[in-house]
Amino acid sequence: MNYMPGTASLIDDIDKKHLVLLRDGRTLIGFLRSIDQFANLVFHQTVERIHVGKKFGDIPRGIFIVRGENVVLLGEIDVDKLCDNVLQQVSIEEILEEQRLQQQAKQKTEKAKKIASGHQNSDLTLDEEFYFNDSTAQDIMLTWDQALIPNTEDENMAI
Amino acid sequence: SFHFLMTSPFNCTLEKEEGLVEEEDEIDQFNDDTFGDGAIDDDWQEEHKRLAELEERKNDGLGGLGLGGLGMGGMGGGDSSTVQLPPPASRERGGGDLAESLAMLILGADPAIASVGGPAGPGDRSTGLPPPPSMPQQHHHPSQLPSHHHLTPSGLPPGPLHPSLLSYQQHQHLLRRGGAPMQQMNSHNIWENNMGFGPVSVTPGLITQMEDSPLMSIIKEVGLPNRPPPVMSEDGRDFSERAPPPRSSSPVIGSPPVRAVPIGTPPKQPMSHIHHPTAVHVRAPVHHQHRYPPSFPERISPNTLLNMANSPLCRPPFPAGVGPVLSQIQRAQMLNSQVAGFPRGCQGPPLLPGGGGFRPFFGQPPPHRMGPHHNHVPCPIIRHNTTHLHPQHRRMLTQRMQSRGGYRGGRVGDWRSRDPYSNLMTQREKEWVAKIQMMQLQSTDPYLDDYYYQNYFEKMEKRQERDRDGVRKEHTTKLITPQVAKLEHTYRPVQFAGSLGKLTVSSVNNPRKMIDTVVTSRTDDEEKREKQVWNKRRQILYTVEKMYSLLLEVQDFEKRFMQTPEEQREALLEQHKTHTLQLYASLKEKEWDDRVSDEQCLLIMSVRKGKRLISRLIPFLPPLQAATVVMGIARNLHALAKKDKQDQALCWLVEPVAVVISSLSSAALTDLLQELQGSEGQLSKVLQNKFGVTLLYLILSEGERMQSSDLNCQLMDDNRWTELVFSVTRELLNVPPSSLSPPLFTPPNLLSLFSRYVDRQRLELLQEKLQISALSR
Repeated sequence: MNYMPGTASLIDDIDKKHLVLLRDGRTLIGFLRSIDQFANLVFHQTVERIHVGKKFGDIPRGIFIVRGENVVLLGEIDVDKLCDNVLQQVSIEEILEEQRLQQQAKQKTEKAKKIASGHQNSDLTLDEEFYFNDSTAQDIMLTWDQALIPNTEDENMAI
Repeated sequence: SFHFLMTSPFNCTLEKEEGLVEEEDEIDQFNDDTFGDGAIDDDWQEEHKRLAELEERKNDGLGGLGLGGLGMGGMGGGDSSTVQLPPPASRERGGGDLAESLAMLILGADPAIASVGGPAGPGDRSTGLPPPPSMPQQHHHPSQLPSHHHLTPSGLPPGPLHPSLLSYQQHQHLLRRGGAPMQQMNSHNIWENNMGFGPVSVTPGLITQMEDSPLMSIIKEVGLPNRPPPVMSEDGRDFSERAPPPRSSSPVIGSPPVRAVPIGTPPKQPMSHIHHPTAVHVRAPVHHQHRYPPSFPERISPNTLLNMANSPLCRPPFPAGVGPVLSQIQRAQMLNSQVAGFPRGCQGPPLLPGGGGFRPFFGQPPPHRMGPHHNHVPCPIIRHNTTHLHPQHRRMLTQRMQSRGGYRGGRVGDWRSRDPYSNLMTQREKEWVAKIQMMQLQSTDPYLDDYYYQNYFEKMEKRQERDRDGVRKEHTTKLITPQVAKLEHTYRPVQFAGSLGKLTVSSVNNPRKMIDTVVTSRTDDEEKREKQVWNKRRQILYTVEKMYSLLLEVQDFEKRFMQTPEEQREALLEQHKTHTLQLYASLKEKEWDDRVSDEQCLLIMSVRKGKRLISRLIPFLPPLQAATVVMGIARNLHALAKKDKQDQALCWLVEPVAVVISSLSSAALTDLLQELQGSEGQLSKVLQNKFGVTLLYLILSEGERMQSSDLNCQLMDDNRWTELVFSVTRELLNVPPSSLSPPLFTPPNLLSLFSRYVDRQRLELLQEKLQISALSR
């Protein structure tokens, strides 16, 4: 049956395999079982796919109910199409490990950036930094100056 | 350790002890369930007692094997594996026959199994191994695993008949109740369970993964996910009484909805396409449990193996169309490969259809089709909803589909019907959602609201016409949005008469509108006029009030007069006179004129209160003044009558006026009549008013009385009276009956009056009209 041709209705997508990207960055793949007017989705036999570089891993999650507002995009998966030759599937442990490493690396670079730009305690405001920094008045002044200077050069250096 | 408890029979304590001795050593080594995570703090002695009792009972009834199998299977325990270490000899228990027969049954029934390996002898495994009550979801290290593997892979993927029938929890429960006569454990049972399913729950649904087992089909038809089906072993012993009550929440995620027969499954067909998400689902944090053993030789519990076997890596969690994701052979091969040694930690077994992707749809491979064929099976899904696509797009799609091997429209239906989870959303629900979406598209002006859509489709249609040239018309389905006529839906809140506000019922469609904040902007002129009117009215009322107070005083005079003593009576009398004069004076506009001021009179009479006032006032006035007042009334009656239409307050005047009239002289009467008639057309207006008609009658009647009673009546002295009466008569005849108001009363002598002045014919007419009958005389 052709529901609402010419529109983007999810009714015709029911019972098909879909990939959905959520606002928190997760990627879920599952069979779309049910929808409603808010585009809340019910996924069946869902798998969360984590991508790190060229590797990916699937974590089976079971049944998912996704609130419509959290969906970034949703697309049907062509089951006929051959699975990617580029991406390599790995185990869950491995992909989670990779993810963790990725996060670590990311944090390191972030930290390095901050240090280079003088914002050591990035979660503090400038005022708080002022008080927390253990330094003489001159140093304090220095800190302030550094803070005021645009960071671009420093960043490049750090990286 | 509880293993010795698992030893079945009641008979041989000796054996038990033996087994115990043997087992204990190994248990300590291999079993982390005893002291590790899986350990339970139950008192083993009690446990033992319970089990022993149960076993006695069981053995009485026989068929303990089934449960035994259950117990074993559910545990899938590594422990069981360890317990299997003891030599077969120790395993030979009373129930051995059963185990054997059952094994035969299972193996025999399943061609795959049969083909793969010989049935595992009853001696292979130990039965009666009580998996520690807490089912290890951890790895157990079945040292025996390897050897058993060959036998089992018997692909009992679908697992053993029995163990699968109870959920894990049920197993546990059974155990705790000492319900598991882990007598002889069919080797198959253990391994089947381990192979086929997660350690956690094995529901009947899982059974469906078995192929072509008659028992399976029976169970399928009957079983509910959480309930062990009534038939659990070939002898038909009903173990449901032993089974714990079904849990309200099945731990197995993805188990099929509770249906006697899953959707779209012909009874005989294996439900292998139900692909249960592996046990991994149930365990929340998968990773920490899902440790891959470094290398095979080390202890790998069946669970571990199971997990690996069922890892998402190996098994896509999607319904595998019809065929099992892994055929028996595949599974066996996979396991073998794993057994042989893990090449690298987590690589998918090479057997698996390539790509770590999902393979939800396997088409409909006949049972013999396996393995490599899977790759080609998935068939293209016909998209029926492509009609709205751009023709180019559609063409591309069809081409693509065709390249895949022709039209397989039928397949889709197949696929849909074979997917047991399809149509969870009923047609009604779909329509309901579509309806809501359509409602949102309601538009009174589609070209305004959805300009681009409308234009796009117009262009497309034109293009089609041009291209196709009428030879082949492709009809694109266009969405017809509901067109709603523009209606003014103004909500007028219900308001009860006399209430201060409006009914407080509001909804989304008619939001509250309790207060009418309607701004009436009036111009200055209007305001002035309105103000003037009000001022005047107020003034009149004020005058009336004042007069009333005077009147009341006059009215009360009598009473007071009687009360006051003699001396003061004079003063009071004076006072009274003054009052009366004052009263009268107020009616006059100008002091010098004796006539009642028309204006004043009119003003007062325009107010209802004023009318009442006058009516009360007249009796107190001296006759002359009263007469003038009545004259004034008569004179202005036509104007007053118009105002009085609603109220008829003038009728109050009837009585006093009547009195006055009766005291009038003939001349005065004539005058009165004249006044009443006034100018042309005046009388007709008067006649419309009840009071007017009544007054007229009064006058006429009085005149008649005068004429008839008093021979010296001067009424006829001049022609005025006659003329007046004539004109009145004329008027009465001419006036339409509708505008003739019925009088308050009809004086009886009217007829005689009229008879004097009019001829017979007219008299009769008058009679009719005025409804004066001779009788009233």
